[in-house]
Amino acid sequence: MNSIAAITSPEQQRALEAFYYREARLLDNRQYRQWLQLVSQDVHYVLPARVNAQVDNRQHGSEDMISVECELEGAESMGCPIREESYMHLMLRVERAYKINSWSENPPARTRRLVGNVELMAKDRDDYAVVSNFHLYYARPGSECFIYSGQRRDLLRAAGDQFMLQRREVILDYADIELPTLGLLF
Amino acid sequence: MTDRHERRCALLQARELVNGDPSLVSRRCWTDQTVYELEKRGIFGRAWLFLGHESQIRLPGDFVQAYMCETPIILSRGQDCGIYANINSCSHRGLPVCRADHGNARRFVCPYHNWSYTVEGELATIPQEGALAGKPDKSKLGLKRVPRVESWRGLIFGSFDPDIIPLEEYLGDMRFYLDAFLGRFPGGIEFMGAPHRWVLDANWKLPVENQLGDVNHGAFLHSAIIPREAQDLIEALGYSVVTSPGHGATFRLMPADAPVDEVAWGMEGMGGMFGGAEVQDYLREVQARAAERVGPLRARMKGLTYGIYPNLSFLWSNASFKVSHPRGPGKVEYWSWAVVPADAPDAVKQVLRTNYSSFFGPGGILEQEDSEVWVQQFRGSNIDFADDRPYFYGLGLGEEAPHPQLPGLVSVTANEFYARQFFLRWRDDLRAVEGGV
Repeated sequence: MNSIAAITSPEQQRALEAFYYREARLLDNRQYRQWLQLVSQDVHYVLPARVNAQVDNRQHGSEDMISVECELEGAESMGCPIREESYMHLMLRVERAYKINSWSENPPARTRRLVGNVELMAKDRDDYAVVSNFHLYYARPGSECFIYSGQRRDLLRAAGDQFMLQRREVILDYADIELPTLGLLF
Repeated sequence: MTDRHERRCALLQARELVNGDPSLVSRRCWTDQTVYELEKRGIFGRAWLFLGHESQIRLPGDFVQAYMCETPIILSRGQDCGIYANINSCSHRGLPVCRADHGNARRFVCPYHNWSYTVEGELATIPQEGALAGKPDKSKLGLKRVPRVESWRGLIFGSFDPDIIPLEEYLGDMRFYLDAFLGRFPGGIEFMGAPHRWVLDANWKLPVENQLGDVNHGAFLHSAIIPREAQDLIEALGYSVVTSPGHGATFRLMPADAPVDEVAWGMEGMGGMFGGAEVQDYLREVQARAAERVGPLRARMKGLTYGIYPNLSFLWSNASFKVSHPRGPGKVEYWSWAVVPADAPDAVKQVLRTNYSSFFGPGGILEQEDSEVWVQQFRGSNIDFADDRPYFYGLGLGEEAPHPQLPGLVSVTANEFYARQFFLRWRDDLRAVEGGV
């Protein structure tokens, strides 16, 4: 779809990047309720599980043999995604953050999100399919520091002068999860 | 009370890790490398260890990876449809011959010199032998086979002890409680997909203890999510059972006149609550036939946590099997799977798996609190100048008793006898291999 480059005007690109920068800032500032206002009430938020997949010898020589997709157990699969959530799940996570007995984040961890490689993949009227990469630095008090690395595959919907998050698929770059939690807002 | 406490501490100074009751458990049980080596030999070398479920290896050539303590295992379905478990290490130079988490294969091939093995574990080819006069005896060079593999209700276990008692005898009265779940579904259960594998800086025994009977922490650790009234109801209807030391179950026994939606498995999870009519109708249908399948008493059971010694857990309320694989005294690889009824439509299974993943597993809203506790408990156990302060395991000491209808010793969920019974067995298993210490 080579027309994507044509429709991704500099203004468009800047608007998408501004959305992601704002989102990252709100999350790093622990302003989760404000972040939730960027999320559609019918959002679908999925973290596929990722496995060490068996290479299919019959696919040798083709890109399919080592495609990322072979490693994912996503929402459509009969495997088990690590998370598949609705607005209600996200709301529970957001409200939990402001309770004194959310022990794994009390005191709260320090985070810093860097979002890049923002790329518009398709556009259909008000719907924008966008991928972006992120590194999330996570420092839990009295613990080691961790780097979360991954990609987000989003569906954003233009609503007035802003975007709303309709769908997010978070592709994390781990099979064995050597991280304290995958319960963060990515 | 103070005198008793001091006396127990004195016993520990006499190199006792776990006292007689055992209401005191040394911090070194959780951190010491020598203790860990004893655990490997005394427990993981001699017990039945969970390997997987038959639904994961349906067809000849199907395989999944598993572990027995730190030893990597290939669990496979042979061409003869038998179940095989072999150590994933080439007889030539020791490399793993299976590198994928799961799949279907005709041969496992070592990358180094391409020795290849059948899915049953026999050595099939040595590429070099054609160029040489001497022919190695391939029949003696297969993968090392786990000497005992047995399955019950689809649950596959292996043991390194060729003389271990049969699996059914090992499970004993836990079968009564496991069947309350497994027997509820006309087609049994199946595991969905690959396990979530979570590596934490914790000792393997605390996740086990957490799932063996520690319902009581819910009201405290999880109070940000679980309302106090919900927890009070759990404890009011709750039973804790130990069928034999190390095996335990906790569950609610619902009143005979309780509405079906309050008894039925799956209704209390996020998927069951919000997953739509098809899911709820399916769950009600299962419950409607529960009494004819598992009897009237077990039809009223609404389970919480189960533990099978040494390191298998089943979380009934959130539909998950879990295994706590040790990686040294201070590291654990915690595996968990969503389990669903095998006969449910695919769309229902896809909703029911969220009963697990919403609250448990590496992204779970509740288990993020548990995992933090497990890590912090290891740190607390590994500090200096506190070895004279063993952990207090005495809550409810002696308050458990037999029950007319429920096999095993029975008590309220606040009684820590499940953990004391675990450590009794643990101590015996270590003593059996201590040799002269």
